[in-house]
Amino acid sequence: MRFQAMMTSRVRQTLIGFACGVATLAVVAPASAATMVIAATRTPGGFDGDALKPNTQNVVVQTYEGLTRYGYKKNPTTGRMEVDPANIQPHLAASWTTSADGKTWTFKLREGVKSPFGNEMTSADVVWGWQKSLAQKRTGAFIARVSSVKAVEPVDRYTVRFELEQPSKIFLSALTLYTPSIYDATEVKKHASAEDPWALKWIDRNTAGFGAYHLQSLKPGEEAIFVANPNYFGGKPHYDRVVYREVPNAGTRFTLLRTGQVQWTEELTLKQIVELKKDKRVKVESDVGTGHASARINPTIKPFDNPKLRQAMALATDYQAINKAVFEGLGTQARSIVPPIIPGADDEAWTFSTDLTKAKAMLAEAGYPNGIDISLEYSGIFWFEEALAIQLKDSMAKANIRVALKKITDADMRSRTAPNRRDLPFFTFMDNPIVLDPVYALFLNAHSQGASNRNNYKNADFDKIVDAARVEQDPVLRERLVRQAQRIHTGDSSWIMTMYPGVHEAMAPCVTGYVWQPDYHERWRELSCKR
Amino acid sequence: MSSTFQGFLLRRLAVSIPLVLAVLFVTFMLVRIGGQDPVALLAGPTASAAEHAAIRAELGLDRPLLVQFGIYLGGVIQGDLGTSWLSSGAVLDEIRGRLFITLELLLWGVAIGALVGVPLGLRAAARRGSFFDQAVRAVSLAGFSVPTYWLGLIAILLFFYFLDLAPAPMGRISAMAERPDAITGSYLIDGLLGGQWQSAGSALAHLILPVCTIAVIACAPIMKQARAIGAEVIESEFIRYARASGLGERRIRRMVLRNSMVPVLTFVGTEIIGLLGTSSLIELIFSWGGIGQWGLQSILNGDFAAVQGYVLFAALLSVVVFLIIDLAVWVLEPRGRGAP
Repeated sequence: MRFQAMMTSRVRQTLIGFACGVATLAVVAPASAATMVIAATRTPGGFDGDALKPNTQNVVVQTYEGLTRYGYKKNPTTGRMEVDPANIQPHLAASWTTSADGKTWTFKLREGVKSPFGNEMTSADVVWGWQKSLAQKRTGAFIARVSSVKAVEPVDRYTVRFELEQPSKIFLSALTLYTPSIYDATEVKKHASAEDPWALKWIDRNTAGFGAYHLQSLKPGEEAIFVANPNYFGGKPHYDRVVYREVPNAGTRFTLLRTGQVQWTEELTLKQIVELKKDKRVKVESDVGTGHASARINPTIKPFDNPKLRQAMALATDYQAINKAVFEGLGTQARSIVPPIIPGADDEAWTFSTDLTKAKAMLAEAGYPNGIDISLEYSGIFWFEEALAIQLKDSMAKANIRVALKKITDADMRSRTAPNRRDLPFFTFMDNPIVLDPVYALFLNAHSQGASNRNNYKNADFDKIVDAARVEQDPVLRERLVRQAQRIHTGDSSWIMTMYPGVHEAMAPCVTGYVWQPDYHERWRELSCKR
Repeated sequence: MSSTFQGFLLRRLAVSIPLVLAVLFVTFMLVRIGGQDPVALLAGPTASAAEHAAIRAELGLDRPLLVQFGIYLGGVIQGDLGTSWLSSGAVLDEIRGRLFITLELLLWGVAIGALVGVPLGLRAAARRGSFFDQAVRAVSLAGFSVPTYWLGLIAILLFFYFLDLAPAPMGRISAMAERPDAITGSYLIDGLLGGQWQSAGSALAHLILPVCTIAVIACAPIMKQARAIGAEVIESEFIRYARASGLGERRIRRMVLRNSMVPVLTFVGTEIIGLLGTSSLIELIFSWGGIGQWGLQSILNGDFAAVQGYVLFAALLSVVVFLIIDLAVWVLEPRGRGAP
């Protein structure tokens, strides 16, 4: 009898508990103030900044921080804070000095900086991270190469010295990046083995940095949970827990933000952004960014070796129609290969406002009085490509430039624009320089050795000027070289420069502190929620 | 009896082996000639030609295709399905971790679809031409016509966004709920087994909408097929004979049900296989995180080993489901036991 009563009571308790679970969780309570839920496009594929996989970059910037960081300034028009590329400040480094020839840089590290594992950052950690990147020969090695780093060595426990092959103005900017990362080498080495001396397998599934957050758990396909580093040198961030939840569908992400289920969401379409800008339940912050939606012409392939034809194509492009139809009117007209946010960007050489009469005349001068048939390749890597291609076809047709559109696979686009091929004649693409320096942008996108010179642009004068700018220490002379290089590149018209679509981040209305970063990823440590 | 069944089972398995091998070969070749190149993806936009070549060699993609297939097949035989290039995890572990997540969704959905569809279909067969029959046919047609993706989105819009009856479509459990200790991989079952009622409740609440979406999709063809099968059985000579002999309607209905069971069961089994692909879309919009979502993302990202693992899983699931159906038919239908 007693057993029966006990069982009845137990069953009742169970049923009540279960029913309560269903009832309370059917309508999920919004996240607590200290937890931020992010609707992410997917869970990170890994956590090694040198071996980028989908969404790796989004999270490693939260766990690994640089020796330096960009300062912020207030934008007088918007009143919002923005990155100031001219103001590079100490971060994990406390200070630095440079030799007279600009080739030796000595950094004094900030003392007392600790990882979540309790180990203090020393020069050995900085050196270990750079050696790992150089050995891996991936993203970090590229950063080392473009910033001319030859060697990194410890001087004492809190001092580290960098030797450069040649003076580099982008070196300090490069140190703001998440890679080569500064690892808690004491912790990471515990997971190294003879077969895996850099503990790459462990680094790919765990984090061990000196940044504001570290990975607590990962459930691929479901979520990654990050918690604040209790020893972070910059103090406790507002959000002590970040749930990075995989929500692969953009429509679902959109709905979740509108209903207050998440505080931040990744990658919405511009149509959704326009919707959200009108919605009081959501806040949208927009910046120009550095991503330049362009159509690139390979000047080494006929008939595009004819500069007059390329200029006619630029003149025939209807930029306003593109902004309206493709970018929902949110784009900013591009007039140089150097994004406008970077000091030294010069748009004066751009003289290609839409003018069909001029375009037709230029086309006739190029030797095509009856027009010409060309083809434009595009892929699905960037959301705007097809719409941009259609607009280009429409507007160029009015000047008798008949464009046949050809969709190719993303893989094909990537491989045919990679340094070993570069054989596409005319195609859409977007690159965004991660270092906010004009010489970096010029070298990356248009120098004959530039990794993102996808249209195989070759101009010996341009290369010579960019090479000179890379080593020039005098800021006035350097700026002059930067302007010269842009004029040559713009005049050669090997890019149909269309729009900077902009960066549009949507968040809960209470979220403050967001500042756009050159890697396009918000810093969770800077965000807070003020209701 | 037992030896006959064993022989039957062995014959079925013997047929399955070349089938699985063919699936392995075709999938392996298709993903490689399909225009996807994980090297460009992994190398990133700034990699040099030498770095591209190094990654290609590291992944073994510089070897002849048949050699690559041989290495892969050798691994599969030893239980190694390769490593996902995008997650760095073993493909077998990835599948194991997501198996119950998808099966939970799929089996509940098809079960509910069958529980609703079979009785309605058979009843419509018994009352052909009636208003009820017309209604069943109309509902079935509507179910066929509705795109899965759209139905899922509408369900979210209605039950989550407007009516606030369903939880947020962001996975299998609330972001705030405690995860039950992993036993089977199903949050609902694990929560119940571990006595974590709140977690189980949250898991159940999250299951309802995607399961109902699958159930609606599954129900339409099951209903249509059950009606057709039922009608055929009702028209058969032995039912007409039974009716002429004066057997009661209740008894005749039971005969119809029993004789319809085998083809209906076979069809429900094929629905499970057919809905595996459909469930990828449902998983995607409900952020479910199962094998379907993983397979879809692997295809989009050119993760060769993962795509091969996904297709192999689908093939093996077909084999297992059909074996179970054969077993069920063998139990239900004594007449077929001697058949090869």
